[in-house]
Amino acid sequence: MTAYSLDDDGVVVIIGSGAGGGTLAHELARRGIDVVLLEAGKHLTAEDFVNDEWGGYEMLSWLDKRTSSGTWRVAKDHPLTPSWSCQVVGGTTTHWSACCYRFIADELRARTVYGEIPGTTLIDWPITLDELNPYYDLAEAKMGVTRTNGLPALPANNNFKVMHAGATALGLNVTTGRHAINTIPYDGRPATIQDGFTITGDKTGARWSTLNVELPKGLATGKLELRAQSRAVFIEHDAAGKASAVLYVDAEGVTHRQKARAVVLAGNCVESSRLLLHSKSARFPDGLANGYGHVGRHYLRHLIQTVWSTFDKPVHMHRGEIMGGMIDDFVRHDPARGYAGGFYIEMNSMGLPTTAAFMEPGWWGRDFASVIEQYANMAGIFMSGEDMPQADNRITLTDELDAYGVPVANIHYDDHPNDLKMRSHGYKVLTSIHKAAGAKRSVEAPAYPASHNLGSNRMAAKAEDGVLDGNCRAWEVPNLFIADGSNFATGGACNPTLTIVALAIRQADFMARQMAAGEL
Amino acid sequence: MSAITAHKDPKLPPPVALPEDASWVGALSLFDAQAAETLVAVVRTLYPHDGLPERIYRRTVFHFDAMASKAPAAAQVFAEFIDMADSALPLPFRELSEGYRVQVLKTLEASAPFRLVQRSAVRFLYDDVEVWQAFGYEGASVHLGGYVNRGFNDLDWLPDPPAGV
Repeated sequence: MTAYSLDDDGVVVIIGSGAGGGTLAHELARRGIDVVLLEAGKHLTAEDFVNDEWGGYEMLSWLDKRTSSGTWRVAKDHPLTPSWSCQVVGGTTTHWSACCYRFIADELRARTVYGEIPGTTLIDWPITLDELNPYYDLAEAKMGVTRTNGLPALPANNNFKVMHAGATALGLNVTTGRHAINTIPYDGRPATIQDGFTITGDKTGARWSTLNVELPKGLATGKLELRAQSRAVFIEHDAAGKASAVLYVDAEGVTHRQKARAVVLAGNCVESSRLLLHSKSARFPDGLANGYGHVGRHYLRHLIQTVWSTFDKPVHMHRGEIMGGMIDDFVRHDPARGYAGGFYIEMNSMGLPTTAAFMEPGWWGRDFASVIEQYANMAGIFMSGEDMPQADNRITLTDELDAYGVPVANIHYDDHPNDLKMRSHGYKVLTSIHKAAGAKRSVEAPAYPASHNLGSNRMAAKAEDGVLDGNCRAWEVPNLFIADGSNFATGGACNPTLTIVALAIRQADFMARQMAAGEL
Repeated sequence: MSAITAHKDPKLPPPVALPEDASWVGALSLFDAQAAETLVAVVRTLYPHDGLPERIYRRTVFHFDAMASKAPAAAQVFAEFIDMADSALPLPFRELSEGYRVQVLKTLEASAPFRLVQRSAVRFLYDDVEVWQAFGYEGASVHLGGYVNRGFNDLDWLPDPPAGV
């Protein structure tokens, strides 16, 4: 096992082992770069995982307290768990449903294409789709995405048959979509057995995760040291203003200082912003890399919502991969719809425990009971749409300290009028698809705790507009990087993981080039 | 309802076996009989599935009791809730008809104690394998080979999509 000394200031320290951090760790290590990967959670294996919605949630989730405020429904329904990510080796890739869609060119030019929208802080990305596409290609190959690299699509399951019948009747373009789930054996991993439990850890390994792909490959290089149950609590910098060390607390509660050549934050949006805000110094009195005040701001979480419908006959939506369906008719920006941006429609299945919990939190009585009793005849359909960045939708520190002495984060989010217009249109479309397939009753379910957390340390073409440059490097700290979704300049509509992975591979190229040139 | 069999993951403990008579409250570590029976009546009023046997609602309250035993703050909130529910009308909550029970719960809906009880009821009631069986959720599948050969695409009342769609 590779082990680096705490005083080794030649290592890149990465905080977080999920889609961004876990991928970057492997990509740097295979380029011969020394990496220490700190992960707050435990190192679990497929043996530990359970096929159980609540069991998996409690085993994998980041359950430390957060608070919430603003007009978003989540603040009412889930006030202390407004955001949903994982605290485990592999991060949220142990939980994700593996949808792999690319940004479209217009989404990377959101400010230019959507125009001036009052109340928003829209910007264009500092990179173009042409720059990103080669990395999307690499990401799809490493992840084994269906319908790429000759890999077959997911087969239609029961829930998809409902979605397909409705969408086809309405003339929409519907397929099973693209997923980092094996339909045939690939990269030493088996084909899916349609178990339906990708989100509780994936016991078979048919679905790509950093736990089962990137980290084993990274460790095999001999250049990567993974330290699980190591909670980063502070980032230090030297007299020149460069990041120099990460303080972290191990499983025994002992605090260590790991010196660093470069530091990468990849702890998911909320934790990365929280850590920067908390890492104050005389030089950075408002938090590290926060001279322009953008750290924590422009927080995005996508317009996520589901429609659950009941039918006369059984669906058994829980059988099989849970999000194997996609409609892309509403992805492109179309001003005629009356709002900016677009959305993907995706199939959505949940088991009885979480369908009951998330269909309409707070709903009780005979009406609810009459709907949930029809679980076997229920189908689900979902959307992920672009929400508008706003300066005051942000992560801040509260006065309450957690067990490690770091302030608890608050997430504030007010819905923008554009968000509400898209949500309303989206519910109508989702419901119409199920009605066209024969639905008896459709229920508009609100967003659950945010799992697409984006934008709160965004990249921008100018330091005045964002925390990071186009290489996801802090404008103000030249050896500090971000490798999670908080680096997105705007949210786009699609599930973010494929883009996080593509950006991490691109970042590895950049960092390796900088190091070879003696500049990092 | 088609014939299905619900499975909990074999790594998880089986449902707790409670006595079928009034002595079930002896299995609780914190709630007394009055508190426990009141909560059973509350959970049944919140989620009235007439076909479900009493033991399932009792198991839900058994989970409340386990929660409250581990967290004094939660125990306090459950106690407050029971006081509120029992003092709303001239009869104790569990002696009220369903219509009055609903009326009482509606007056409490905005309170923090109601929220804890209602959310905990959803959390535990619909996680009960006997409820899964009743409502057609089969649950854990990897230990049975997934659903690939057990009906993941057996819906036959709509046209099959074209291959490779």
